[in-house]
Amino acid sequence: MKKTIALAVALSLVAGSVFASGGAESSSSAKKYRIFMNPKFTGLSYFEVCANGAKEAAKELGVDFVYTGSEQADVQLQVQSLENIVSQKPDAIIVSAIDLNAVAPPLVKAMAKGIKVISYDADTAANARDFFCNQMSYEGAARAMLDCALLNAPEGGELAFIAASPTSPNHMAHIKIMTELCQTEAKYKMFKPVSTQFAGDDEAKSIEVSINLMQAYPNLRGIISSSAVSAPAAARAIQSAGKVGKVFATGVALPSSIRSYLKDGSQKAFFIWDPAMLGYMSVYVAKASLDGTLKNVVGSKVKAGKLGEFTVGKDGEIVYGKPLIFTPQNIDEYKF
Amino acid sequence: MSAALDSTVPNGRDFRMGLAAKVSRNTLRLRVVSVFLSFIAVAVVFSLTTPNFLTLQNMKIIAFNAALLTIVACAEAMVVLTRNLDVSVGSVIGLAGYVAAKFAAAFPSSGPLIVIVAVAIGLALGLLNGLAVSYGRVPSIVATLGTLSIFRGITYIIGHGIEVPSGDLPKWMIRGADATVFGVPLIVLLALAVVFVLNQLLRNVPLFRRVYAVGSNPAAAVFYGLRSNRVVLFAYAVAGALVGLAAFLYVSRVGTVTVNLGRDWEMIALAAVVLGGVSTTGGSGNLFGVLFGALILSSIDNGLVLAHAPEFWRMFIQGTAIVAAIALDAGIERRIQKMFRHKG
Amino acid sequence: MDAIRINVNKHRWELILLGLIAVAAAWATQLSPYYLESGQLFNSSRNFVFTGIMALGLMTVIVTGEMDLSLPSILAVCTVLLAKASAASVPLPLAVIGIFLVAACLGAVNGLLVAKMRLPALAVTLGTMGAFRGVAFIIGSEVGYTGFSDSYKYLGGTLIGETEIPLMLPVFFIVVVLFVVVLHFTTFGRRVYAIGNNANAVAYSGISVAGTKVTAYVLSALTAALGAWIFVGQYGSARGDNANGVILAVITSVVLGGVDINGGKGNVLGVLFSILFLWTLRNGMGLANIAGPIQQLIIGALLIAAVLVSNFAVSFRTSVK
Repeated sequence: MKKTIALAVALSLVAGSVFASGGAESSSSAKKYRIFMNPKFTGLSYFEVCANGAKEAAKELGVDFVYTGSEQADVQLQVQSLENIVSQKPDAIIVSAIDLNAVAPPLVKAMAKGIKVISYDADTAANARDFFCNQMSYEGAARAMLDCALLNAPEGGELAFIAASPTSPNHMAHIKIMTELCQTEAKYKMFKPVSTQFAGDDEAKSIEVSINLMQAYPNLRGIISSSAVSAPAAARAIQSAGKVGKVFATGVALPSSIRSYLKDGSQKAFFIWDPAMLGYMSVYVAKASLDGTLKNVVGSKVKAGKLGEFTVGKDGEIVYGKPLIFTPQNIDEYKF
Repeated sequence: MSAALDSTVPNGRDFRMGLAAKVSRNTLRLRVVSVFLSFIAVAVVFSLTTPNFLTLQNMKIIAFNAALLTIVACAEAMVVLTRNLDVSVGSVIGLAGYVAAKFAAAFPSSGPLIVIVAVAIGLALGLLNGLAVSYGRVPSIVATLGTLSIFRGITYIIGHGIEVPSGDLPKWMIRGADATVFGVPLIVLLALAVVFVLNQLLRNVPLFRRVYAVGSNPAAAVFYGLRSNRVVLFAYAVAGALVGLAAFLYVSRVGTVTVNLGRDWEMIALAAVVLGGVSTTGGSGNLFGVLFGALILSSIDNGLVLAHAPEFWRMFIQGTAIVAAIALDAGIERRIQKMFRHKG
Repeated sequence: MDAIRINVNKHRWELILLGLIAVAAAWATQLSPYYLESGQLFNSSRNFVFTGIMALGLMTVIVTGEMDLSLPSILAVCTVLLAKASAASVPLPLAVIGIFLVAACLGAVNGLLVAKMRLPALAVTLGTMGAFRGVAFIIGSEVGYTGFSDSYKYLGGTLIGETEIPLMLPVFFIVVVLFVVVLHFTTFGRRVYAIGNNANAVAYSGISVAGTKVTAYVLSALTAALGAWIFVGQYGSARGDNANGVILAVITSVVLGGVDINGGKGNVLGVLFSILFLWTLRNGMGLANIAGPIQQLIIGALLIAAVLVSNFAVSFRTSVK
């Protein structure tokens, strides 16, 4: 009996000591602001790059910064990790939401406690955050993706869209605007959207979905995805199905993910913004909001370090708005 | 002494030679046939209701998707035959695949060494599972539940959560995954080879046949002098190695490798095994059944997409198919037992 | 003296768990300064209520020697049904009765397949897990539902009066007491254990084994329904994929609680302590921002270690004698 208790205690202590070092990254000093960043899920290079930019800004501003989240794209897990964060009494939370409504309850509670909430990359419900750092206006992004599509297939054709889920506000907004543009603008009229599929930011799922799309729509010309996971996966699927040249993939992707496809000529254009700078900007917005120098009024301005000035738009949206379009010609300039 | 024992180690359920042996060999075939017929039924339903289903191109896609699943399901079947389970399969794919991918990215010209790395890791992980279950006497569902978390955690620690982009993998891996031989995808041929070879081994090589014996009647196996601990360990090790191979193929297929690689595969693998007529009470089942089980799952998936059916019908149909398959299987088994009773 | 010693031996596992809870709490306090705060503790306890309730239900099934993998799927069916009911402005009591009935039916399906048709429980509930999950998706679709009326969210979403105590916490303890009574002090409970130990003997004595098993499945399905009601208030949303993957955590709670996976042995108190232990551990690690997979790793290792230790402690003791 005593032996078993001793064993149990020993086990726990061993486990404890091994992982005590993996504890909280930030020290709580009285004056410094503590800012937490919570991505949709960790483990995606895109979010890691955003975090790197955010860390850079945190260093410049002298704030404590913690990057934490669940490793899976799961709504309940994100809610739990947000509640976790709130329990640690941060000054500000920067979050990219998997489901805009589901994350609202803990964020609303946070705001009630005086914590500033800034969303980035994927917005939350408008009442659950103070500001939204949007990488591109939804229309800007939609146009950029259609422009990439034109680079691939100037003659037009059938298009399919892949989004993370019906509750990803940015993906769904992009698709809605792209569909409208295809119907209303002469420049894009040659494209015909035929299907929207969901792949949950999952690599293998995106490949499966893309292959299925090519099967279900034999005349499919292009697959466009706002998800940085799905766009490269579609490119892979096209390669795997042997349809290079017949079907193209484009959308949002990190240069590192699609470098090989641009170089071997199977794809012609992808688009993104600099995620590091998006993260960088979000920290500056958070700090300005905490200092009280940034108010949620249309037209207010905020200075984001080396990026310059940004203006607050409707509903607290601040647009970063600097798209980058990658082609085989310029891909080597980008190292992330 | 053991050689003599080996030659009399029975295949599956028949402890009485002669008629009983013939009957049960035939019922094993009967089971495979029933799975095969179910597959045909599914194929017929879909070819009648959806366009494009019965095309060569589509058949290739179904076969391709089923191929990886088949290999993993064969691995799972090895373990299930011993009356155990392995729910850590997905995490083994993750760990073996991730390490192999990092290795490939770091040493791109190491060629086939990458495959060996993947298989070796799978083997090692399988041994760990087997040790816990056999010598550690931890019930298999608990042990593999634990290792599921442990292996996934190790993958995370190794990777710091960062993905390995497909551009970092050597070209031959990516090309190889898409390669075809006379129009048949290479991966499909590999899967078929695994099924054939493993099945032959299980039928004829004593080392493998003991797997059936231990599963169908552990007590009797011990009386025979079989060291069931070693057999179970062996089964898990073989399973692990197969999963390692599958991990390598999966990485070649997918390109970009994330820390979440392989998640949830255990459920689908178990489904294919169960659909394929391999009994979870151990000791009986044929790998060809598993092959058709994987084909059924893949066809349902594919058919639903072609039929533009919303994706969630897939889960419902797969789940119901599993229940139906088990019920059918149990019905057949009961009929056999009735026959035995009559024969006295 | 002898009587006390026997009791201690019988409840060895539970006492170890209590010790582990204390150690875990100490470790958590050391890991993060935010741990020992009543508001935080109460808030994080909510994460274990609905899984804990399901663990009690699953325990019943496991003790009879069977398994039920479909519990989280039953929960999902109930959450989406509640969503439909809320959207149609169905009064709460009616909706709750509705989901309990539906859950009971689903549980009965499991019971019939396993007990009446004698199909292997693990494989069959693997199938029903998928089938019920599919039904949840079919009813709920991909979008999910977040507009629950306040009455629906009351149970899972409210604090008691002015305190920080979530309403679901006393509800959880009431359920625990219920299960203690049912499993340890009723005829049904005795039968459950008896069947787990020797189903044949029970059958020979004329008691319906199938009947008891079906009841066990229905009971566990009801815990899933209650869990769904709490879930809806806690998260305010319902979707087909609710509680997907939770089954592993539930099984872990049960096994860590000292319940034998082959049936016949186990104690509600043990499961309760195991739930508390896992909660303490998770809470502490979460506040220290330890990554999810590493948390899983620790818990997985503990699970295996627990069983190994109990296996070899027994043999050590007998060999010493």
